[in-house]
Amino acid sequence: MSGDDIPGAAFADLRAEVARAFAAPEGKTSGTDRGVTSDLSIDEALLLHSIGWEPIDLIFGASVVSIPVGIWTWGQGALDPASSAHAMAMTSASRRMEDQCASVGGHGAVGVRVAIEIHPRHVDVELTGTAVRPVGRAARRQRPFVSDLSARDFALLQGSGWAPVGLAFGASFVYAPRRTAGTVLRQSTQNVELVNYTQALYAARESAMERMQRSALEMSAHGIVAVRVDEGPMPFARHVIRFSSWGTAVALVAESHVGRQPRVVLALDDQVVQFAPEALHGG
Amino acid sequence: MTGSSVPEAAERRLATESFSSGLTVPDFAACLQMGLRPVGLVQGFCAMQWGWYGGAQSLRGLSPLGVGDGGYSRVWYCPHGFVSAEHPTWGQNAEQTWVEDAWAAGFDSAFARMLEEARALGANGVIGVKDTSRSTQANVTEFHVLGTAVKLEGAAQGAASDPWSTYLAGQRLAKLIEAGFAPVSVVATLSSVRVWSYCMTRALMEGYGYSMGAIGASGWAGGGSLGAAQEVDQVTEARIAARQIAKERLRQRLGGDILHGALVGSFVRELGEGDQVVECTLRGTRVRRFKDFDPIEAPVVTVRLS
Repeated sequence: MSGDDIPGAAFADLRAEVARAFAAPEGKTSGTDRGVTSDLSIDEALLLHSIGWEPIDLIFGASVVSIPVGIWTWGQGALDPASSAHAMAMTSASRRMEDQCASVGGHGAVGVRVAIEIHPRHVDVELTGTAVRPVGRAARRQRPFVSDLSARDFALLQGSGWAPVGLAFGASFVYAPRRTAGTVLRQSTQNVELVNYTQALYAARESAMERMQRSALEMSAHGIVAVRVDEGPMPFARHVIRFSSWGTAVALVAESHVGRQPRVVLALDDQVVQFAPEALHGG
Repeated sequence: MTGSSVPEAAERRLATESFSSGLTVPDFAACLQMGLRPVGLVQGFCAMQWGWYGGAQSLRGLSPLGVGDGGYSRVWYCPHGFVSAEHPTWGQNAEQTWVEDAWAAGFDSAFARMLEEARALGANGVIGVKDTSRSTQANVTEFHVLGTAVKLEGAAQGAASDPWSTYLAGQRLAKLIEAGFAPVSVVATLSSVRVWSYCMTRALMEGYGYSMGAIGASGWAGGGSLGAAQEVDQVTEARIAARQIAKERLRQRLGGDILHGALVGSFVRELGEGDQVVECTLRGTRVRRFKDFDPIEAPVVTVRLS
């Protein structure tokens, strides 16, 4: 009978590890991980280590770009100044994050949280993530990648022969033309599609998606994964449809996709069935 | 309240035989498996008022502020020359060290009081720490730190050194230790940067920057082009500076150790016409490696049936 088969052996080992951890308050002071800062969870850190990568430093990117006054009030079609401001803010914030990543010796940033706020007069973008690199490896010559994928997704991507190359994004702001007074009156008692809004949504969607895909192609990516979209009118400009999309651009770095054959598991931790005493009374 | 003495009523409560804990049942079970026995829910409070805070937000001096103690500061000057007496001819990003110090004093006091209660229970550590800080008035912030004090089975009772502490509990703590890291202490900090806008920032934040950008530093014919998007350099720099300052302040508390599970919070208070306060909180668990790097095997990919 091996040690693994002894009931409670794993607990005993864990207790020994815990006792060891707190018996050496000075710990190890050598190693390459002195001063490392990371916002990864312990699961993500372990997963990264299991594929030979390590976190290095917490890094940031931010940009605030001005939007011309008055563009939201009366307009027609695509509001290009707002789309340009959004693109510039995302590009600048990503560049700053890449620069920070390169300066700490990172090969890329994972788990990047993307915060975009559209204000009437400016657009704010803030990026927060952790720079990572293969264990003990020096900085690479290529530009670091920025990815909003979790460490779990990054590990899976790596194992399948793919690599993230950057954050792809696109945004579009389209003015939904106002209906004439006569149309508003005529339609006020009807169940009717507001074609002006529907068309504006389609136009915004198409421009934003096209811009996002173009930004991925500019990074020599083969595609984009985990795309997120954010759409709808804005509280300060109800006649303008906003559509923004972003995701991680990926490229195939292996000769071909490496298939992973998942093992099927059946979890036995279903929710506990609650007993309702009143059911006994038939009521 | 002076120092970090435990109130008499709290001492009586802590002296009772039963224990209290803020752990969930799974976390409670995991801690017993690790040989960590909960002995009490320990807490620390502190309400801080800072006098400078309100004044510094509303008053604009005749010239940029001097920032002491090597704090971050950068000044921008108007490129247009004299326009009018009301024209904001200078702008400044200045680190508000007094705000940062007041926040640190409040957090540290609440944290020290929680540890004092843990020490009174003879605990070796505090797990599952949670902390909140909220403004109750314009210049008053209330800090509350709580966690579950634990005794390590087989360790000396009432250890002489400060109890260790961590935001983690349960299986997450078990995995951290199995990965070779021992928690040392929770660490948290706040950075605060005040933006006093100058004419260019003010114009850009109000959406008039396109024409202002075209004027630029070299007169009406120079600078940018009308209709092109323009970044607000001063505000962008403040946003990044706040985060970098928070990171560096926390790094000073790490003493060469590792910051695990960092949580970044950012807050912007717009004060009008481009003026704003950018604040950033950063918290996490300071951990130290106690055994050599020992990566786990690459996990098996699974699909869960349900």
